[in-house]
Amino acid sequence: MLLAVSDLSVYVPIGILVLMAVGFAVANIALTLIIGPSREGAVKGQAYESGMNPLMSARKRFNVRFYILAMIFLLFDVEVIFLYPWAATFGQMSPQTPEGAVFLGRIMFFLFTTVVAFIYAYRKGVFRFD
Amino acid sequence: MLELLSNIPELATLASHATHGHGAEGAAAGAAEAAHAVGAAIAGSGNKLFLLIPLLPLLSMALCGLYWAFGVKSKLPAWTTVGLLGASFGLTILAYFEIAAPGVTQIVHGFRWIGIDLSPHQEGGLELIANFGLYLDSLTILWMLFVTGLATLIALYASEYMAHDVGPGYCRFFFAFSLFVFAMSALVMGDNLLMLYLGWEGVGLCSYLLIGYFFTKPSAVAAAKKAFIMNRIGDLGLAIGIMMTFVQFGTIEYAGIFEQVDAIRASGGELPFAVKAIPLLLMVGAFGKSAQLPLYTWLPDAMEGPTPVSALIHAATMVTAGVYLIARTYPLYTLNPTALVIVAWVGGLTALLAATIGMAQYDIKRIMAYSTVSQLGYMFLGLGVLSSAGAAFHVFTHAFFKATLFLCCGAVMHGFAGQLDLRKLSGVWGMKGWRIVSVAMLIGCLNLAGFPLTAGYFSKDMILAEAFVTPGFAVLGWIALITAGLTAYYTFRVWFRVFMGPGEFEPGDEHHGDAEDEMTAEDGHDNHAGHGGHGGSSFHPHPPKWAINTVLAILAVGSLAVVGVYFIDTEHHGWVGGLVHDSTAHYESPFVHHGAAAHEIAGAHGAEASGAELAPGTFLGFDPHEALFFASGIIGAIGILIAAFLHGPTGFGGLFIGARTEAATSRADGLKRTFAPVGKWAERKWYVDELYDFLFRIPLWVLAHICYLFDRFIIDGIVDGLAKTPRGVGSGLRPSQNGLLQSYAVGMAGGLAFILLVIWVVL
Amino acid sequence: MTLALAAGGSEIIERLHYLHPEMALFAATCVVMVLGLSKSLAARKSAAIVTGLGLIAAAWLSLRSPGAETEALKEAILPGVMPYAKTLIAVMGLLALPMLTGVVDRAYERDVARGRAFDPLRATRGEFYAFFLFSLTGVMLCVTADDLIWIFLALELTSLPTYIMVAMSSGRLRAQEAAVKYFFLGAFSAAIFLYGFALIYGVMGTTSLPEIRNALAQSDELNPMLLLGFILAIVGVSFKIAAVPMHFYTPDVYQGAATSVAGYLAFAPKAAGILVLIMLVSVLGWTHGATGITLPAEIRVTLWVMAALTMTVGNVLALLQDNVKRMLAYSSVAHSGYMLVGLIAGPGREGDAATSGLAAALFYLLSYSVMTLGAFAAIASLEKRTIKGEMVEVELLSDLNSVCRTYPAVGWSLVVCALSLLGMPPLFGFFGKLALFTSAWEANEKILVVVLAINSAVAAFYYLRIAAAALFEERDEFEDRLALGPAPWRRLTAVAGAAGVVGLALFVSPLLRGSGDATQLGSQQTFIAGVDAENRPAQGIVNPSIAATIRADAEREQP
Repeated sequence: MLLAVSDLSVYVPIGILVLMAVGFAVANIALTLIIGPSREGAVKGQAYESGMNPLMSARKRFNVRFYILAMIFLLFDVEVIFLYPWAATFGQMSPQTPEGAVFLGRIMFFLFTTVVAFIYAYRKGVFRFD
Repeated sequence: MLELLSNIPELATLASHATHGHGAEGAAAGAAEAAHAVGAAIAGSGNKLFLLIPLLPLLSMALCGLYWAFGVKSKLPAWTTVGLLGASFGLTILAYFEIAAPGVTQIVHGFRWIGIDLSPHQEGGLELIANFGLYLDSLTILWMLFVTGLATLIALYASEYMAHDVGPGYCRFFFAFSLFVFAMSALVMGDNLLMLYLGWEGVGLCSYLLIGYFFTKPSAVAAAKKAFIMNRIGDLGLAIGIMMTFVQFGTIEYAGIFEQVDAIRASGGELPFAVKAIPLLLMVGAFGKSAQLPLYTWLPDAMEGPTPVSALIHAATMVTAGVYLIARTYPLYTLNPTALVIVAWVGGLTALLAATIGMAQYDIKRIMAYSTVSQLGYMFLGLGVLSSAGAAFHVFTHAFFKATLFLCCGAVMHGFAGQLDLRKLSGVWGMKGWRIVSVAMLIGCLNLAGFPLTAGYFSKDMILAEAFVTPGFAVLGWIALITAGLTAYYTFRVWFRVFMGPGEFEPGDEHHGDAEDEMTAEDGHDNHAGHGGHGGSSFHPHPPKWAINTVLAILAVGSLAVVGVYFIDTEHHGWVGGLVHDSTAHYESPFVHHGAAAHEIAGAHGAEASGAELAPGTFLGFDPHEALFFASGIIGAIGILIAAFLHGPTGFGGLFIGARTEAATSRADGLKRTFAPVGKWAERKWYVDELYDFLFRIPLWVLAHICYLFDRFIIDGIVDGLAKTPRGVGSGLRPSQNGLLQSYAVGMAGGLAFILLVIWVVL
Repeated sequence: MTLALAAGGSEIIERLHYLHPEMALFAATCVVMVLGLSKSLAARKSAAIVTGLGLIAAAWLSLRSPGAETEALKEAILPGVMPYAKTLIAVMGLLALPMLTGVVDRAYERDVARGRAFDPLRATRGEFYAFFLFSLTGVMLCVTADDLIWIFLALELTSLPTYIMVAMSSGRLRAQEAAVKYFFLGAFSAAIFLYGFALIYGVMGTTSLPEIRNALAQSDELNPMLLLGFILAIVGVSFKIAAVPMHFYTPDVYQGAATSVAGYLAFAPKAAGILVLIMLVSVLGWTHGATGITLPAEIRVTLWVMAALTMTVGNVLALLQDNVKRMLAYSSVAHSGYMLVGLIAGPGREGDAATSGLAAALFYLLSYSVMTLGAFAAIASLEKRTIKGEMVEVELLSDLNSVCRTYPAVGWSLVVCALSLLGMPPLFGFFGKLALFTSAWEANEKILVVVLAINSAVAAFYYLRIAAAALFEERDEFEDRLALGPAPWRRLTAVAGAAGVVGLALFVSPLLRGSGDATQLGSQQTFIAGVDAENRPAQGIVNPSIAATIRADAEREQP
């Protein structure tokens, strides 16, 4: 009773997505190679490591806010990603039906949790850089 | 012995007929009476108010426990106990008018205590039910009347007696005291055998706690242990008896058991041995609790406890639990008359043996203890010769006069710093402040000696007469009659030595309450009457104060007054007889009735039963009921006169035949030299303790050591070997817990693989 | 998938009230999280109180949760489980709460009191209680879950907060190490059971447990892949209950975490794990095997091996410990093995909780939770002063010497809980074990009963060591001085645990009946152990002949 998929055409959108992703990366590298000026330099030749000097001891201390901010960014990033398919689907259904209400209620609950998280982060002092 | 054997068939027929009623108007009436004997028209659902009778003492116990925990240092526990026990007594009187007076039976349901469905998958299967419920009939009420009544009085007495111990000890004393009354109430009032057992063990525990009250005294601890262990032997019998009852009858509730006993008696037929064994087993319990042969030796030692305890538990109430048990389960005894024969013989022999030991003791409390054993023997004799009414009456009168006697001894002990040796006390009667004690003591002694027209005289007489009336028990009757003489002797030996004669004393070694002594001395109440006192220059005996005197007065008057109940309801031999008649313990032999008509009836019954002649016995050719009034009176008087001759002081104090002039010596000493070995044996209690030591303790000690060695080397060897296995396995597994993450992960994956492997191998 | 869920919208509204206790906990979590960051000390302190209020509300709502009588739940795996299990979780949470006071922020609050400015970034009190509540919410969701995805999410919601709780419970490096180990091994186990779930989904084409059950009920043969999926799922989830072979982390993590958190770990993930395991095996049902009254053979062997090994390994390793926390960790491993026995035994005869292994397992969870929380709380109540003058938590068995004399309440609570863990009658733990024994015996798992009995005997050794140390051992003056910890509330859990162990023993039969109702299976499968019920001799002890004769006679007498 394995889920048998005979028609491979359902994978076409995924294939397109993969192609786009690979294409975007390849295109970027190619474009910089082609149109960018190529000047060498000690600083420029360094490997990129989030703006840090990669040649010192790896046990260097970062400001902890760096991580916190990065995580908060992730949180809201994920939220946006989550909202998109929801919005795309919600347009197709009528909000007066119970299904629509539940659908709306769910995303409101989700937003509520992010708001709580936001309040928490704010109270925690994440956004203060003094 | 031959007589014993020959009695068995006779009694068997007798028992099957006795139930056919005292009226004996014919077979039809007999059947009706049989129903009456057991069912006794169980009235309604019962009055829930009576549940308070056992629960008030429990409340009192809880309060005393709280006082104990909060370190109360006043007489509050005593007043709480007296008040609540008094209320309980009041309720009992109420119960008397509601239940015993009209002669009905009530079952009061409290709550479901134990309910185990033993066959849950069957409809209407067997269920072990033990409710916290009361079975109230006139027998219960009779017992409860003196249990709660005497407990109240004795608590009042103890409030003063224990005053030197105010504080934690005082709270502890009344805690155990209240618990005892609760347990005794549960024992007497419970509507099933398990509740009786609860009370039975409860009173045993309290007895242990109270005997060992002075737990810093080694002899008290030893006595407490002895009482507890001796009782365990009896309790084992009782426990097995209860289990057998359940197995055989499928219930342990009295109502159910009695109903089935009725059915069995109606249907006749041979009973299996298992049913016949039940009374024998219950009897063992009764012998333990009521200090009968061969389990009596704990009771004299139990006198290590505070005297109020001796009076309440070891004289008036707890020790009569055995009598109650047999009376309560009398219908079961009708199924196996052999049991009653044994009861009678054990009772009679215990009475004699204890009396002989009592004659040679010097410790007055101990003498009273032996007299208790002896009197309990009478009660069992009464039960055995089918005179449950006589036994109950003797329990009732004995409770009063023995409590009086003990409390008097206690007062003496309290006043003379623990002195109890009758060779070191003399002439208390003449000392200032001791008159009430002395009069109470005299009343108690007269009762115990069976002096004519005292209550003890009538109650003992009922038993004696019945022993002669019932065929085959004449030997026991003679034994009991001789014992009555001995009783009179040793009772008055105490009286003449301690209370009569020149005022002389030597204080004991318990100088408690020194402050109190000083106070009395300052008040000018110098009671130092003993001019010849040995070490008493700084010691003043303190006579009892109001609480003890009041209680003694009430009890003494009570002991005298209970004689009156003999003349109430004469149809059933007194008021107590009437109460017993209305209960399930009613079991009247056809040989009780006076006059020719009764003889005829009895004869007819005998003929009906076995075709043999079963005439009632006689006392030297006279009707025992009449002849023994004189015979026992004369024997008692002879005993008293011998006591007066041997121990009495000169003058009227010794009835003009005594010759004692000092505390320590008397004419008996010369006599004792003549009968040196016998006297010594009696003094050493016939070496029964030593015999038990030899027969049981030493073999057990040897066996225990053999077991110990076996345990030490063989069992321990195996067990230690086994015990090392888990540790070995553990040590083997220990390296797996090396603290490394990666090896844990490997372990988890490996474990999963192992499980899959096992599945593959197994399936 | 979204559309499918949307289509069931009205149904979801109907079923929303299943989640009321979880919602109460979530609301409390939101409040607590923010309260802990307040500048006012009183507000920060109120975090624990709000946690408690949330738990009380959850407990009250749990009592009113829909049970077996609800029509919509008739087809659930365990229709009646919600009220009982959720109430159990909330009440145990309440019991654990006092124990968890004072775990975090103690040094920091002291600094603040001395005048240091309050920095919310450094305060972790709110987070600690919030994680506690999150984790309990996860346990409750395990009860509500009827879908593999739900189960996965609920299990992770239970576990993830506990990883952090371990890390933040103590300033020492040991706690960090423990947390990292716990996290990685937890992730590994999650991977295992998630793979199992994937296989199940792959074979059945659905993640809904009732649907899987119904489909299985109609097929005679079980797909080997499906069985593999279930085995992986069971073994993976057994990480939560610390059963062999997923037990390795237990002693290290319990030892590394603060004692209070270790106590919590001994309860919450275990409750979630055992409830999920009950649900998973109930999907398969006890209608397989040669007799038709057991689990599928492969699953039975899996559980059997796990149960036997878990009991044995837990107990024998506990024997060797001198560290009480490690000892109790192994003890918790062993107790998981006992509970697995109930799962093997199955639901027993219909309507008879005494023969139901599932009821016994759930009931054992209750008794185990009470006594283990009490024992951990007793140890968490104590501290010792080292030679350097530091106050550190009590860890070694010898630290407990004569504690009954120095701190009677704590000491006696520990002794009572240890005796109950050992299964000493008449304490609560005894009845838990008794139920397991009877159910396994009824299900004819006699070898397992013997293993259980031997293990109980082995376990007696180390529990008695705890009791003996607390009661009899003398404390010599060279040993570290014992002191009461700075969090007095923990003693409440200890004493309440001990009181519960004694007091709940009086309510064994209603509680056992309750867990029997809670574990009634939702569909056809009921083990008809009465195969030979008719042929079995009557269990009464009465000599039937005489009793019957007497009764017959008595009846004849009365026309």
